[in-house]
Amino acid sequence: MTMAETPRACAKDLPEASGVPSEHLKFINRYTVARADACISCGLCASLCPYGVHRRIEGHAKILPPDDRKCIGPSCAVNYFFCVANCPTNSLSVSGSDTFISLGDPRWPSEMILATWHMAETGKPLPLEHPGNVGASGGGFDKLYFKMPGQDKFDPDTICTAIDLNRRGEGAKIRIPIPIYGGGMSFGSVSVPTMVSRARAAKEWGTFTCTGEGGYPEALIPYKDHVITQIATGLFGVREETIQRTRIVEFKYAQGAKPGLGGHLLHDKNTPEVARMREAVAYTSLFSPFPFHSVYSVEDHKKHLDWAHAINPSALLAVKVSTPNDVEMVSVGSYYAGAHIVHLDGGYGGTGAAPEIAKKNIAMPIEYAIPKVHKFLVKEGIREEVTLMASGGLRSALDVAKAIALGADGAIIGTADLVALACVRCGNCESGRGCPRGIATTDPVLDRLTQADWGAKRISNMYGAWRLQWCDLLTRLGMSDISELRGRTDLLRHGDNPTKEVGT
Amino acid sequence: MAYERYHISTKTWPNQASPVPKFVITRADNCINCGKCERSCIFGVHKRSEQDPRKMADPVNALCKNCFMCIQECPQRALTMMPGTDYRELGRGVWTSLRVSTIWGESETGKIPVLGAGYRGMFAGPGYDGMWTDMSEIVRPTRDGIHGREFISTSVDIGSKPSALEFGKDGGLQTHVPQIIEIQVPIVMDSTRLRGLTSKMLAGWSNAARNLDTLMFAAPAVVSEEIHGAQINHFVPVYPDGTDVRTILVPNGVRMAELQYTPSWREDAKRFKSMYPHTLLAMRVRSGKGVEKQVLDMAKAKIEVAHIDFDDEGMELDSHAPRHAKDSLRAVHKTLVSKSVRDQITIIAAGGIAAAEHIPKTLICGADVVAMERALLVAIECRNCVTCSMGSCPASLISVQPDWIEGRVTNLVGAWRDQLLEVLGAMGIREVRRLRGELGRAIFYDDVETEAFSDIGGGDDNG
Repeated sequence: MTMAETPRACAKDLPEASGVPSEHLKFINRYTVARADACISCGLCASLCPYGVHRRIEGHAKILPPDDRKCIGPSCAVNYFFCVANCPTNSLSVSGSDTFISLGDPRWPSEMILATWHMAETGKPLPLEHPGNVGASGGGFDKLYFKMPGQDKFDPDTICTAIDLNRRGEGAKIRIPIPIYGGGMSFGSVSVPTMVSRARAAKEWGTFTCTGEGGYPEALIPYKDHVITQIATGLFGVREETIQRTRIVEFKYAQGAKPGLGGHLLHDKNTPEVARMREAVAYTSLFSPFPFHSVYSVEDHKKHLDWAHAINPSALLAVKVSTPNDVEMVSVGSYYAGAHIVHLDGGYGGTGAAPEIAKKNIAMPIEYAIPKVHKFLVKEGIREEVTLMASGGLRSALDVAKAIALGADGAIIGTADLVALACVRCGNCESGRGCPRGIATTDPVLDRLTQADWGAKRISNMYGAWRLQWCDLLTRLGMSDISELRGRTDLLRHGDNPTKEVGT
Repeated sequence: MAYERYHISTKTWPNQASPVPKFVITRADNCINCGKCERSCIFGVHKRSEQDPRKMADPVNALCKNCFMCIQECPQRALTMMPGTDYRELGRGVWTSLRVSTIWGESETGKIPVLGAGYRGMFAGPGYDGMWTDMSEIVRPTRDGIHGREFISTSVDIGSKPSALEFGKDGGLQTHVPQIIEIQVPIVMDSTRLRGLTSKMLAGWSNAARNLDTLMFAAPAVVSEEIHGAQINHFVPVYPDGTDVRTILVPNGVRMAELQYTPSWREDAKRFKSMYPHTLLAMRVRSGKGVEKQVLDMAKAKIEVAHIDFDDEGMELDSHAPRHAKDSLRAVHKTLVSKSVRDQITIIAAGGIAAAEHIPKTLICGADVVAMERALLVAIECRNCVTCSMGSCPASLISVQPDWIEGRVTNLVGAWRDQLLEVLGAMGIREVRRLRGELGRAIFYDDVETEAFSDIGGGDDNG
C-alpha cells in the first residue's frame, strides 16, 4: 500500500466528499409550526419568512401548510419577520416537534443522529462545539470533554490522522489513514448491500471493514484487501480460502453488546441465502456458542492464533474481546499469544440481536476498559508493540478522539456506519422483516432498499467529515499527528456541564 | 429417583388489557388519503378505512415500531409521531415504563427479551444501575448459558448449614443436621406486602409457586383456606406484628413460618422453636441503619432465615439516610462473613426487584434468595398506578383468572431464570449458590469511575 511506503503522507490521495442529496431523509423537523383555522390566507407570513416555511403557490387562494423543517424555532422571536408575532389573526404558533423527540435515545440523541446524517450527506464536518457530537447518557464519553481553545483555522493537509495496525517488529506493515476501521457485522445481521457499502467506503479510505461471523459473501471479494475475515465461536462460513484472502484475521471471543454470550441470529433472519453461507438449516435460530470450546486458557488461545498464522502467514492477527474485570490480563495474554491488534469491545456496543439483559448489565463500558488496559500494557513494557483498538458505543469523531486520549490507538466503528446509511435506530434489527430501510435485514425484498453506491458515498462522506473534525481538534490542541493524542488524559476534563468545557 | 433436569415449561399467555403503545402517530387534517403511508409501513400501522375505502383509518399505534417510514414518505407532512403519554406514565421510580412493559412481555411469552441495536439507556444510574456483572474469557473458565448442553443449577438451600460435620468413634454422624428446604430457583414469592389482592390472585401465584418448586409467603388466613386443597408445603405463613406466638397454630405440612423482628424477637423465637422444633423459622426485619447487627444477632440466636425488607425502590425502610439494597446487603454479608456465621443464616432480600438483572446483582451483593413482590402484580399487567382502585383498574385485575395468573407468573420466573443462566454462563459459574457474595465478580460504578478517571481533572461534580 502506498500509505505504508510513505508513513507521513496520510493526507495524500484521500477521497473527496461528494454530496449525497437525499431529500427524503430530511423528514425530521425540530419545530412544529401550526396554523389555526382562523388563518385568512393573507400571505403576510409567506412574504416575511426568509427561510421558506410559508409558501403560496401562484394563483392558489389558500396558503400551503407550513414546511416546518425550515423553521428556526421560537428563537426567531427576536427577528422583525417572526411570523407568529406578525400574523394579523394570531393563527400561527411555533413549538418543539414531537416527532423530533420521538427519534433517538440517551446514547444516540436525535441531534447526534441528525448530525451523522448531515455529515454523511455533505462530507462537511460539524463544529466540535455542536451538540450532535456528544450523547446524553450522562456518563462515560458523554461526561468527558476536551480542554480545547476555541475554533481555529486548520489545514487538513498538514495533519496526520493515520495509525499503524502492526506495531510489532515483524510481519506486514499496514497503515490506515484514519484511526478507525469497521467492526464485524455479519451477513445475516445486515444485508449484502450494507456490507458492500461499508467495504467500498473502506477501500476508498484505505482502511478496513470486517465480515462478522456469518461467512464471506462473494460480493465482498472485489474489496478483499480491505475486508477482515472474522473467526467467531460459531465458525460459520469460515474456510481456508476466506482466511487466505484477507490481510487481517480477527478472532472474536466476545461481543460488547452480549459479553459472555454467543452470537444471536433469530430464525426469520436466517433466510436460505444466509443459511447457505453459514452452512446451517434455513429459518432456524442460530446461537453461537460462548466461548470457543477449544480455548480455555492463553495457551489454547495461542494455538488458535498459530493455526490462523499457519494458514495465512502474512495476515495480521486481531483479537476481539469484551471487557471483563480482568480485561488487562486478557489483553496481555493475547499479546503474548501473538496478536497484533487487541480489540476491546465495551459493553454498550451495537448488535443485530442481543438479550436486553446483556446490553447494560454484563461487562464494563469501554470508557473504563481503555485506561485500565493502556496503563497495564505500559507497566508490562509492551504498550508500543500492541495496537489497542476500542469499540462499543463510540458514536462520533469526538468519541474516537476521547478513546484515543484515554489510551487506545484507534477505534472500530459499527453503528455509526449504519446511521450514515440512514438508520434511525428504531431497534427492530432482530426481526427478519424489521428494517424498512434495508440495512439490517436479509429479506430479499427489503434488502434492495439500500444501494451500495449510495451507501458507500455516505459512509465515505462521514469518514471524511470525521477526519476533518480530528484535524480541527488536533490543531486546537497544538498537535499534528493523532498518535500524539494517545494517553493524553491531561487534555480531558470529567464533568457534567458541557457549556463550561467548550471553548475555554 | 430418576434424575430429572429442572425445567420451567412456558407457553404463551397473551396480554389481556388494551396495549399501551410506546409511540402514537397522529394524522393531521391535510391528509389527502393517498395511501403512501400504507405502502411504506412494513408493520401494518396504516390501513384504509373499512367503512370508507377512500379514507385512511386511524393508525394502529400498538403496531408502530418507531421506524419513521410513514413520516418520511408522507407527501403532505400530515403525520406526527410522539412518545405515547400512557406509556410514559407507566410505573414509577425503578419501575420504569420500560421495565413494566418488559415484564409484560416476559410474562406473555416466557422468553428472554432479545432486541436489535445496542444499549439505548443512561450510562449508569443509582442502585443496581451503577453495577455491572463480570464475564469470563480466555484467562478464566467459561461456559455456555441457556443454549449450551451443560446444566447450570439455580437451586438454593434455605436454612442453617453446619460449618463442619463431626463423627463419632463408630463413624456415625454426631452433628445434628438441621432442616433445609431446597428450592429450584433463588426466587420466592411474597404476597404479604401487596394491597388489594383477590383470592384468584393468591390461588394463581400459589399454584405457580408450587409448580416452580419455590415458596409462597402469605398471610396465615390464606394458608388455612388452602388447607383443604392438596399440598401446602410451599406455603410460608407470615405472622403479623403483634401476634402472640403462643396462639400460633402452624398447619401440618408447612415447612417454614415467619415472624416479625420486634423488640421481643428473642423470646418469640425461643418460644416458637420450642413449639415447632422441626419448622424453619424466618424472621422479617425492616432494613435500616444497623440491620447488619440485627441479622448477626439473629444468626447467633439460631434463627435460620433473615428476610430483609426494602421498599419498592430497593431502598432501606428505617433510616434517615437510607442506603440502597446493594450497599445494605453488602454490609450484612460482610458482617456475617467476618464473624464466620454466614452459612448459619439464609438471607432473603425483598423489595425493588423490578427486572431480571436485579436477581444476579442482589445475589452478588450477598443475598441467598430474592423475593418477588410487586413483580407478581406487574406480571398480570398491573401498571403500578399511584392511585390504585380495583373499580377503575386499567387492567381489570379484579376479573383475571387463576390459570392465566399462574401461567403469567410461571412465564416471568422462567424468563428471569433463563436470564440468570445467561449471566451465570457469562461469568463461567455453574451454580447460583456460588454467586452469593461474589463481590469480586462485579463492577461497581464508584470503584471504576475512580480507577479510570481519577487522573482526569474534574468538572463541577467530582471535585
